[in-house]
Amino acid sequence: MIYYLIICRSLTYAQRTAAVLERAGIPGRVMRAPKSITGEGCTHAVKVSERKLPDALVVLRRTDLTPSRIYLTESDGSYREVDL
Amino acid sequence: MIYLDAAATTLQKPPEVRRAVMKAIETMASPGRGSHRPAMLAADTAFACRQAAAELFQVKEPDHVVFTLNATHGLNIAIHSVVHPGDTVLISGYEHNAVTRTLAALDGVTVKIAAAPLFKPDAMLRAFDRAFTKEVSAVVCTHVSNVFGYELPIADIAALCQQHQVPLIVDASQSAGCLPVHMDELGAAFIAMPGHKGLFGPQGTGLLLCGDVPAQPLLMGGTGSISAIQEMPEFLPDRLEAGTQNIAGIAGLLEGIHFIQRHGTAWILEHERSLAARAASRLSGYGVHTFVSPGMAWQIGVLSFQVTGMDCEAVAEQLGDRGIAVRAGLHCAPLAHRSAGTYTSGTVRASFSPFNTERDADTLARTVAAL
Repeated sequence: MIYYLIICRSLTYAQRTAAVLERAGIPGRVMRAPKSITGEGCTHAVKVSERKLPDALVVLRRTDLTPSRIYLTESDGSYREVDL
Repeated sequence: MIYLDAAATTLQKPPEVRRAVMKAIETMASPGRGSHRPAMLAADTAFACRQAAAELFQVKEPDHVVFTLNATHGLNIAIHSVVHPGDTVLISGYEHNAVTRTLAALDGVTVKIAAAPLFKPDAMLRAFDRAFTKEVSAVVCTHVSNVFGYELPIADIAALCQQHQVPLIVDASQSAGCLPVHMDELGAAFIAMPGHKGLFGPQGTGLLLCGDVPAQPLLMGGTGSISAIQEMPEFLPDRLEAGTQNIAGIAGLLEGIHFIQRHGTAWILEHERSLAARAASRLSGYGVHTFVSPGMAWQIGVLSFQVTGMDCEAVAEQLGDRGIAVRAGLHCAPLAHRSAGTYTSGTVRASFSPFNTERDADTLARTVAAL
């Protein structure tokens, strides 16, 4: 299944992001971001489904919760950064 | 045991607190240190506690709610963030050693004291106004005296700080849980509070509410974020939360905050204050000297008293022997005792919680009278 990872600067920021999305009816799961995409070491991400990303970005812009970066899962399990 | 030492630590907690602590010990690991269920349960609990505290204390974002070991820890972070060598700091005459010792340990810091008599909020405000010279670069003020339950006019003092554009640090050790403590209204740089007093959390918990002033960590270490970088993260709460958090305590603290949200600070204040007033009235009837604000107008449910001809520690010891827990001496607040004129003698302090009853207040008075 293809999904997006919204990279957040901290666990609490990821939790705030997930909470805002949930209130908007967009399921988002907080998880530790994959090592291969965390240049500065451990960080957290919110996982959202492919079709929910546009709505999620609208909600996050409205609430001033800017994602650090967004990655898309590739079919081989790798990650590709997506331009915002 | 009749426990009347809530100003030190609340002994009776809502039963949910104990259950939450037990559940956390059995099921939760460390927030931010893994994606497994025990770590995520811990993360959810910590976040829920930040959210509940942010709501109760009107903090703009849960990120600005930092977990500490106690109020002293929070005050140390706040003071080290705001006060620098050579600064002049203005404090009230009712501060705890958590403030005065921390300031005394800083090199070259001048401490000015806004001195005013007990239960005279207008005089206190005038004292702050007079002492607010251009050298003052920070203010540290307790919301309520831990010795006398005296509520200082913190909103007016905060307004004075805003007028002078000087950061304010509030010690809410005695007010959190029974008085409105609103970060956004006070515009404080920091508000520090314990978790184990009026918030009914376990010992070893505390909160530091952070405004927009850059915060300086006292502890460096792992935060579960940007691990490859050797400086502490710039962002809150990670910047001030190095090392594994007391998640069992935080789980208990969350339930304590829920208890306050269910009952409301107004009810808690009224209950505790009415018991203090009742005890004061009974004690006065027995000839005991009590320290009471007229109509309890500027006083919470904390009552200091002195028994003529008896050392305050002897009174507390004998009450303890008879099953009544109070605290005596200087209460780690010699400055407050100097301000009130009780430094030489000290006082006995009875402090009430929502779990005390009128019978407790009456028994205290009768037992003191019989000593």
